[in-house]
Amino acid sequence: MINFFGIRHLSPAGAFYLREFLIKTRPELVIIEAPVDFEDTADDIVRPETKPPFAILAYTKSLPVRTILYPFSKYSPEYQAILWCHENNVPFRFMDLPSETFLALSDEKIRKAEQDESGDTKDAEQTEHKPDVYERIAEKSADGSHETFWERTLEQCADFSAYHEGANLFGSKIREFSEADELDAEETKLREIYMRSVIRNAVNSGVAPEKTVVVTGAYHVEGLKTWETNEELPILPKLAALHTLMPYSYYRLSTRSGYGAGNKAPAYYELIWEGLSKGDRMYASNAYLSKIAEKTRENGGAASSAQVIEGVRLAASLAKIRGGNIPTLRDLRDAAETCIGEGSFAAVSVAVADTEIGTKIGELPEGVSRTSIQDDFYRLLKELKLEKYRSVTSRELKLDLRENIRAGSEKSAFLDLNRSFFLHKLRVLGIQFAEYVPSRQENATWSEEWTICWTPESEIALVESALKGDTIELAAAFQLKEKVEHSSEMSVIAGALEDAFCCGMSAAASYALSALQRSAVDAVSFEELAKTAFRLSNIISYGDIRRADCSEILPILQQIYLRACLIMTTACVCDDTACSAIANAINMLNSAEIAQDILETERWLAALNQTARRDDLNTKLSGLCTAILLERNQMTNEQLKIEVSKRLSKGVPADLGAGWFEGLTLKNRYGLIARLSLWESLDEYLGSLDDEEFKRALVFLRRAFADFSAGEKDSIAENLGEIWGLNGAEVSEVLNAQLDEASQEAIDALTDIDFDI
Amino acid sequence: MDNSILRLPAEKLFEEELNALIKEEKDPIPEGWRMSPRSVKTYICGGKAGNTVITPKYIGHERLVEIAIATLVTDRALLLIGEPGTAKSWLSEHLTAAINGNSSRVIQGTAGTTEEQIRYSWNYAMLIANGPSEAAMLKSPVFTAMEDGAIARVEEISRCASEVQDTLISLLSEKRISVPELSLEVPAKKGFSIIATANTRDKGVNDMSAALKRRFNIVVLPAPETLEEEMNIVKTRVEQLSGSLDLNAALPKDEVIEKICTIFRELRNGETLDRKQKVKTTAGVLSTAEAISLLCNSMALAGSFGSGEISDEDIAAGLQGAIVKDDDKDIVAWKEYLENIMKKRGMAWSGLYRACRELNE
Repeated sequence: MINFFGIRHLSPAGAFYLREFLIKTRPELVIIEAPVDFEDTADDIVRPETKPPFAILAYTKSLPVRTILYPFSKYSPEYQAILWCHENNVPFRFMDLPSETFLALSDEKIRKAEQDESGDTKDAEQTEHKPDVYERIAEKSADGSHETFWERTLEQCADFSAYHEGANLFGSKIREFSEADELDAEETKLREIYMRSVIRNAVNSGVAPEKTVVVTGAYHVEGLKTWETNEELPILPKLAALHTLMPYSYYRLSTRSGYGAGNKAPAYYELIWEGLSKGDRMYASNAYLSKIAEKTRENGGAASSAQVIEGVRLAASLAKIRGGNIPTLRDLRDAAETCIGEGSFAAVSVAVADTEIGTKIGELPEGVSRTSIQDDFYRLLKELKLEKYRSVTSRELKLDLRENIRAGSEKSAFLDLNRSFFLHKLRVLGIQFAEYVPSRQENATWSEEWTICWTPESEIALVESALKGDTIELAAAFQLKEKVEHSSEMSVIAGALEDAFCCGMSAAASYALSALQRSAVDAVSFEELAKTAFRLSNIISYGDIRRADCSEILPILQQIYLRACLIMTTACVCDDTACSAIANAINMLNSAEIAQDILETERWLAALNQTARRDDLNTKLSGLCTAILLERNQMTNEQLKIEVSKRLSKGVPADLGAGWFEGLTLKNRYGLIARLSLWESLDEYLGSLDDEEFKRALVFLRRAFADFSAGEKDSIAENLGEIWGLNGAEVSEVLNAQLDEASQEAIDALTDIDFDI
Repeated sequence: MDNSILRLPAEKLFEEELNALIKEEKDPIPEGWRMSPRSVKTYICGGKAGNTVITPKYIGHERLVEIAIATLVTDRALLLIGEPGTAKSWLSEHLTAAINGNSSRVIQGTAGTTEEQIRYSWNYAMLIANGPSEAAMLKSPVFTAMEDGAIARVEEISRCASEVQDTLISLLSEKRISVPELSLEVPAKKGFSIIATANTRDKGVNDMSAALKRRFNIVVLPAPETLEEEMNIVKTRVEQLSGSLDLNAALPKDEVIEKICTIFRELRNGETLDRKQKVKTTAGVLSTAEAISLLCNSMALAGSFGSGEISDEDIAAGLQGAIVKDDDKDIVAWKEYLENIMKKRGMAWSGLYRACRELNE
């Protein structure tokens, strides 16, 4: 008779009593429910440097990448079984379907789901939600939750035979009652056929059945008992796949737990595991509440030992009301809220998260069956001295890209630059290890800020990148190439080019550049052109500090710049909704022109002049061009005066005039304020309006002046005072005063003006 | 049952249920209690004892009731906190009725509550005639609760002056009361505890000291979570009350209760139930208890002056009184609510809308 030990994955009591069971039965072979092909990771799993939580990740060799994860924690029964076998020199075997088959099955499921989605959606509405067996347990149990039911009935078992029998019974009952959907049922059937065949083979190879222990999910125990009957193994679907060990985190364990077996509070479960190892059944309760108190204090709250004691007592009496002896997680949390949080959960919520989930992450020894890209990642982390940033709490990193002149070697002189290259490559690959923080300091080309935080997600993304290349550099190059090839938008290609420069990858950059040139010839959108020119100009400005050769970019920038100048004026025929995007583009092109001496200034000024003068364009954009000309000192007071009177003359609809003025204020305001003639013209214009026109103009002018600061208003007041022959200070007081109620009402009434007429 | 009494204490009103629970008791009973913690919960949250149906007394958060009962099983005192009208006193009355069969050991906290009222005072005629003796003592409810191993209630504890509140500290930590005049010390029997209630609206009036707070397990009672829950509470309570008050009117229909609960919830939360529109809130507390008394009021109006069936006019009068307390702003908020929300709700609401509007013209 084979010894079956039904467990729940990630169950402390299961792990503990399984060990006792193994000691008692002294098996000669242990068979564990895990994909057979994972057996090769076992040697690394048992190494003393391997610290759980970790996971085995299997991923397909082809796109789209499908992955499956097998997480292990310290209190995983499977992990403890493997450890025990290792310690006692007992051979063990895995028996579940190979990961390649799992991936093929999940691929099939995803495809089917996608098909359903695109096809008939009615089906989804028609299928009513049937409460699954776990929901039904929750309904029936005194605790009203499946999780608490499990904790109370099985995690708190007093000895291993109780757990053993209880779990087996639980599994067989679940089996009886569950109504899994067809696809899952088929998968389960397939798995069990396979597992039975592995058990059969093991026994046939000469191990006595009574000297064999099978560790499997409680659900499968009944299904595996019929292992002796011969049956044919169906053909298994397969997707070529690889697998690797990866570190895991408790946080991830709590949010995504496989097998329908929840593990919402990994850190708390670890406390239960510790308590079992110590033989102290109240350990988890006491430790939980003490930790809550400790964390509350760390977060600046007050929590006394007396409160902890009261909490333990309250939790115990809550457990008693439910008929238990040991508090469950729910009792403990309620006790913490009542006694330590003084009735408010908010007061202890952070401490509860810390105590229940925690920030623990696993560790693997160097070079352990990782993919080559993982190896490369960890090698680079070490080389670039970034290892200490590999933690789940985020940290800031400031980089100075300039050469460190005092450094001994070239490698250390450019350490920060190389770090930047590395982090940018990760960013390109979509590995969320480091996040780029845009600098507030303008034009500081030599400094960069990053926020770094390691998560299992980033590790998974890393492993998924393995398909793109064997090293970070190769993968990033591949990614950029993909991006360039699949995009027709010029600014996207320019973005890829910029990325390539940020990553310090000159080959990828040249590739992107030639693609850019090809698409620049056909580009017609002014916005795209301006954006691209701006990006290229940025690359050139930053090129030196990144030790990149930009000589190839210049001709392309010139080409794009020329086209942009030529089509700008026509682009300015647009409505107000499109106008802000164009205004943005004009500003970008302007700054590109200023930054790069090599660009022909005359051409830009001509385009600006044309746009500023013509009155059949969007007036706001004309205003903006005028402002740029003023800023660059390309317009005399006389010219401005002519322009103002033209734009604001009587007969021009008030909204057009005010729109122009709004455009004018988009640039340097001090330049405007300093020009007295402008204010004179404005004054004249307002004087010429009749009441109705004034009201219309007021709305726009109010908008144009809305975000002027008090200081700027002061200066305007001085100008107006000058014009009207008044004291500047008095005018300023009026301008900066709060509106009284009557004026506010009058202005509110203006919003009702219908401008469409 | 004696029908001439305006309001019977809980243990009299629900005597049958309590007796049934005691008769059917299966679980161990803590010392000084009349029934097991589990039966207390059944009494409060409803259920069955043998063949007797136990009506729910507190609807909603069962877990909070459990925490409250579990607190009393340990020797800790219990403090119920919440907005006015969230059934704090109601819960404390029923807890003591179930645990001790006596909910009358109450001290009402007011600004005028003195230390003597919490400890003991004297019958001065006897004190002067015979000198201090136990016969001349007037024991407070807390004193007798300690002697009997029972639970005393302190209502609105935050209304008391701090020094009066602090008297409780020594009682709760030493669990004994001393009478120096008689050189006597009375230790509390097992089962002694205190249930206090406090109002969140009174926060800061006489804030409880940290030392006193520490002696209590604090349970915060929230307003009902859903409309259905609130309607359920209102319905059950109105039924119970109208029975004992002889209101001579038919019980309100479900749609009437729904309307009132909807209005109350919307004005309380500052948004419509579908969360699509913002609503001005009023200064007054629109609690579930207020909704209950409003409906009883309307029933009294209908019974005494109307047809015996609650009309829209009866409700409108009640709403006016409940919502517009003394603040001008309340009138504005209420009028805006009428015009912006209620008017647009269609036929079912139009009668009530017109009646309310008439009162505000």
